[in-house]
Amino acid sequence: MVQEMGGSTVPTSMGPHSLRARYHLGWAAGDLRGPILVSVAYFLGAESAFVVGTLSDRIFAPFWPPNVILFAVLLRAPVSRWWLYVVAVVPAHVLAELHIGMQLVPMAVALATNCMVAVLCALAVRQQLEGAPWFGTLRKASLYVIVTALVVPALVAFGGAFVLIHGDAANGNYLFAWTQWLLANSLGFLTLGPIFLTWFGEGWRPWSGLSAARLIEAGAIAIALVVVSGLAFHFAANTVEIGLTPALLYSPLPLVLWAAVRFGERGASAAVLVITIVLLTLALNSSSLFGASQPERNVLALQVFLISLAVPVLLLGASSEEVRRAEAATRESEERMRFAASSANIGLWYFERTTGRVWATVHCRSMLGLPADAPLNRNTIQQMIHPDDREAAIESMRAAAFAGEDVVNEFRIVLPDGQIRWLRARAQADRDKHGVPVRVSGVFIDITGSKQAEHDADLQRRELAHLMRVAVMGELAGAIAHELNQPLTAILSNAEAARLLLAKPSSDLTEVVAAIADIVQESKRAGAVIDHMRGLLKKDARPPESIDLNALIRSTVELLHSELIARRLTIAFDLAADPPPVFGDAVQLQQVLLNLLMNAMDAMAETPPPLRSVRVWTRAEGDHAIQVGVSDHGPGVSTTAERRVFEPFFTTKPHGLGLGLSICSTIIHAHGGRLALVNKSDGGALASFTLPVQRLSVAAE
Amino acid sequence: MSESDIAFTVFIVDDDPAVLGGLGRLLAAAGYPTRAFTSPQEFLSKHDPDLPGCAVFDLAMPEVDGLELQRLLFASGVERPIIFLTGRGDISASVRAMKAGAVDFLTKPVSSEALLEAVARARDLDRKARQHRRETASIEARLARLTAREREVFMHVVAGRLNKQIAGDLGTVEKTIKVHRGRMMSKLGVRTVQDLVRLAERAGIRPQTKPETEEVEG
Repeated sequence: MVQEMGGSTVPTSMGPHSLRARYHLGWAAGDLRGPILVSVAYFLGAESAFVVGTLSDRIFAPFWPPNVILFAVLLRAPVSRWWLYVVAVVPAHVLAELHIGMQLVPMAVALATNCMVAVLCALAVRQQLEGAPWFGTLRKASLYVIVTALVVPALVAFGGAFVLIHGDAANGNYLFAWTQWLLANSLGFLTLGPIFLTWFGEGWRPWSGLSAARLIEAGAIAIALVVVSGLAFHFAANTVEIGLTPALLYSPLPLVLWAAVRFGERGASAAVLVITIVLLTLALNSSSLFGASQPERNVLALQVFLISLAVPVLLLGASSEEVRRAEAATRESEERMRFAASSANIGLWYFERTTGRVWATVHCRSMLGLPADAPLNRNTIQQMIHPDDREAAIESMRAAAFAGEDVVNEFRIVLPDGQIRWLRARAQADRDKHGVPVRVSGVFIDITGSKQAEHDADLQRRELAHLMRVAVMGELAGAIAHELNQPLTAILSNAEAARLLLAKPSSDLTEVVAAIADIVQESKRAGAVIDHMRGLLKKDARPPESIDLNALIRSTVELLHSELIARRLTIAFDLAADPPPVFGDAVQLQQVLLNLLMNAMDAMAETPPPLRSVRVWTRAEGDHAIQVGVSDHGPGVSTTAERRVFEPFFTTKPHGLGLGLSICSTIIHAHGGRLALVNKSDGGALASFTLPVQRLSVAAE
Repeated sequence: MSESDIAFTVFIVDDDPAVLGGLGRLLAAAGYPTRAFTSPQEFLSKHDPDLPGCAVFDLAMPEVDGLELQRLLFASGVERPIIFLTGRGDISASVRAMKAGAVDFLTKPVSSEALLEAVARARDLDRKARQHRRETASIEARLARLTAREREVFMHVVAGRLNKQIAGDLGTVEKTIKVHRGRMMSKLGVRTVQDLVRLAERAGIRPQTKPETEEVEG
């Protein structure tokens, strides 16, 4: 059983029946179900045509369904099985034609031409319409009409016409026979064909998917159509004044159009079929508007009337279907986009320039903290933007709306409940055919989370940098204390001297004045040291400022003065004359310099004192950047260390944290530069960084 | 503290001109002539070792620090009391400085009391040292006038030997020793044996004592 289930690859139309067939009787019996049904349908189609054919002795049949039936089946069957269906219709054909006493030769020709029409149409439609849905667009419907109702029957009619004139000298008009053959086939393909393709082209339950109301509507149209066309067409031609004929002919038209517009190609094909059946029935009962003296004329009129009704109505149905499908597709894609957008926490909106109206998705509104039905315009949104960001945000939207630029900007909004969120807006202008931007469409993305993370990371980085500064200051505490001691010593000495001088009976006031002047000067010097220290220990972010790197280097080295003496080190300067200023945080840059200098000093602990010198240089790199270098005469960096020095927690020092260079690198990076550490060719290490020069426009601000 | 007999000068060496100026002004106000030097090299090449006085050295100076300067100064044969000033309470440096004979080791900022007290002590030390040096010099001059025999007798007398014992040691008669002894005492300008022993001590001459003479001395 499992094996059978696993091997079940037969077409679904065969269903479970084929399983049983394969198990007990082999493949043939199950596969013959379709061909037998087709055979029966073909026979019934031919019979119905013969009934209609009684309208005129000279016309074989004004309406020939068997070909359409075969065509419809071939269209759905795999090409490898077509021969089976063609073979299956042979007995039906023979039986039907024998029934009306047809001779063998015309019977064979008729079979050949019938099969040819069905096969050619099936091939052409498959090739041109590329599978289900067979209709669905105006283009497909037009191709169907051209192929099945014109080109193929017109060609095959050259053969089919022989059937009609064979053995009947009276009907020997070939052109007439050709026309009859063509029209009979066309009518079949225009009335029954679309029914097969649109109603059963994609399944066997065409009404599925229709609501009860729509089904009632469809039923009402069908009944009304039967009634109206039955009434309109039942008048015998000679009982109606000629002037009333057009009115009668047109009376079913509103219902037909209604069906085509409301129910697309299915409605259109059904309406055409209903009219066809009603007209043929009436004609057969000899009470028809098409009831002139000559039956051949009547049939021709009937055929022409039905064909000229069917073609435009089918095309109308197809195009209304196309519109509906396009609408549904748009709706679906919109729905998908909305779903995707709200899943991704993206709000969609557009802004109509002329009216100032804003349309936004429900999700977009909820991002803004607004109810789904709140009226929305430019002002409501502008008022929600945080006052600090409002001007810039409006300016950038204006750039999108008027200059037609694609813009991205970020701003904060204040929700009605006072909450502050960060939004990133991406907007672009939609232009009319003259290239004038008519509306701005865009998205809001809530980036509060990433902004918060960014802010937290920034805070952490600053905290860490600050901690490292504190650590460096700790290392330098002795040196800094000494820097303070010097002026304090001078102050104390001068003050005591002044006291002693003043205690003397004959005071030398000029010396006292000089002592006080020195006290003042040294107090300022001590104050400067404290300021410097406090600056480095400060934690807050500072607004970026214009910085003279040379001055910064000198003041940093001053801070190290005592440390240099204690370590018996010297520093040599090689500074560019009058370098352009850079822009940034002086404390952070000083931290970098301090760190690089301390590293250089640490590196030379084992260097003999006469060689213990650090070289600090600045160099202009064109007019856009400044390079700063700190080199030592230490052992340099090992190759492994060289690769890893900027990694956090990597250190070569016994008590190092391994954060110094990592933080320096981050700081330089944040200033738009790059920090590098290399070995010099003549020994020792060189740490250098490049900073972009402050642009003049920024300097002007 | 008036200083009239000899000009006791304070030599100050500090690489920081402001500190140098302040200390100089304070010591001047306290009545000391001062000489200021901003570098050890300048001090070594310019200062007058014969001038009585003391030195105030900053401990932390570039190139040559205070301790090094102390060593260089002593190596050149100049004995001068030294007061060190330091910015940091560097214990190991202070121990080294004191072992090498520093007067004091003061931490910046230094109070005038501490500094002036140290300078006063340095002046006393300097005065005593100079006096000692003067005395030693005069004794050595007198000792130089003795004949070889007188010098031998001198050494024996200082060692506490009696005339008879000395005569025995030197292989002569007691009378001859008496003559040498009288001439030696008059050349050295002393009257009693006690004065002679004190003079020998000042000259740094250690008698070659023998076990039985210890009791005599005692």
